[in-house]
Amino acid sequence: MADTATETPHGADSQHGHDDHGDHPTEKQYWVVFVILAVFTAVEVAWSYLGLEGMQLVVPLIIMMVIKFFLVAGAFMHLYFDLKVLNGRLFTWAFFGGILLAMGVYAVVFSTFRWQI
Amino acid sequence: MTDTAAREMPLEPENELQDDVAVVDDHGSDIAGHDDHEGHHSSLGLSNMKLAMWLFLGSECLLFGALISTYLLSKARFLTELVALNPRVLDGLRDGGMPEELIQEFIAEGSVEPIFDIPFTSGSSFILLMSSLTMVFAHKAVSEGNYRNSRVWLAATALLGSTFMAGQVYEFTIFFREGLTYGGSLFGSGFFTLTGFHGAHVTGGIIMLLSLLVLSFRGKLQSNRAETVELVGLYWHFVDIVWVLIFTIVYLIP
Repeated sequence: MADTATETPHGADSQHGHDDHGDHPTEKQYWVVFVILAVFTAVEVAWSYLGLEGMQLVVPLIIMMVIKFFLVAGAFMHLYFDLKVLNGRLFTWAFFGGILLAMGVYAVVFSTFRWQI
Repeated sequence: MTDTAAREMPLEPENELQDDVAVVDDHGSDIAGHDDHEGHHSSLGLSNMKLAMWLFLGSECLLFGALISTYLLSKARFLTELVALNPRVLDGLRDGGMPEELIQEFIAEGSVEPIFDIPFTSGSSFILLMSSLTMVFAHKAVSEGNYRNSRVWLAATALLGSTFMAGQVYEFTIFFREGLTYGGSLFGSGFFTLTGFHGAHVTGGIIMLLSLLVLSFRGKLQSNRAETVELVGLYWHFVDIVWVLIFTIVYLIP
């Protein structure tokens, strides 16, 4: 049974009268993001084997982790593209609001712990 | 085509291909006039379901923030216990960190053993990243009305997720045999709670993916319900994002 679809050339959502999806990436762009993520993962692993210590080891790993985080959230979860839609920033605020709240709360938690060495 | 002729044209294909055919625009919205489309929109012009999912994911950040913080605290506690057991670590910490040669010395004498298999976990991370790619293709295929491809991508995502979970079960088994148990140390408790919760989320995602697959085979996952796939996709990518954090914080930073 063949799967077929008839598409209209218009980008507008004819059912809703508006579109909260923004312009999604193309298949090629998804592949590019995936390759970048895979390369960063490989570099992360290689970096951990260099025998570096302290900040030299941790800071680049954290930076690469944050880049990967934003790549997945921005491209795969469409946050970057939702920003272009009317009120689309609400999605971003709902998510990053949770992250900022978590970082704030747990920063306070960490500050209450003191390990005596 | 006259207006009369246009009115007489069926809006939905009424033939044996009905389950696999959709009339969509290039954003994946079904223009056939279904009444049961999802994603009821708020006065903000946004889908309520999608906004609810983002708020849920925001709250999940608090959950995983708590788990990661607990893990880091239990790891710090573990180190202080290590210091208490072996005062020679103290000199290393006072000099700004744990010297690599001291760690190697501990490994040699058996008081500290490297337990993480980084190449294996790197492979698992790659598999989970790959599953995010197949997930976006599944959503794209449903949006475009290409139901056969959507089933392939959904099945591939579920399979990759299952492979990741199989890897985690294997890893847990090895750790258990090596003596790292849930109740054995604070480090073990923090580690298994964090990675176990993540594994439970992946398992929940796999169940959702299989449910979508069943819906698709029953012909109930057409392009007018593409938002359902997008919501599951958001959840799946979030699980992937959490693993990005866990992989670096737990496995790569000693």
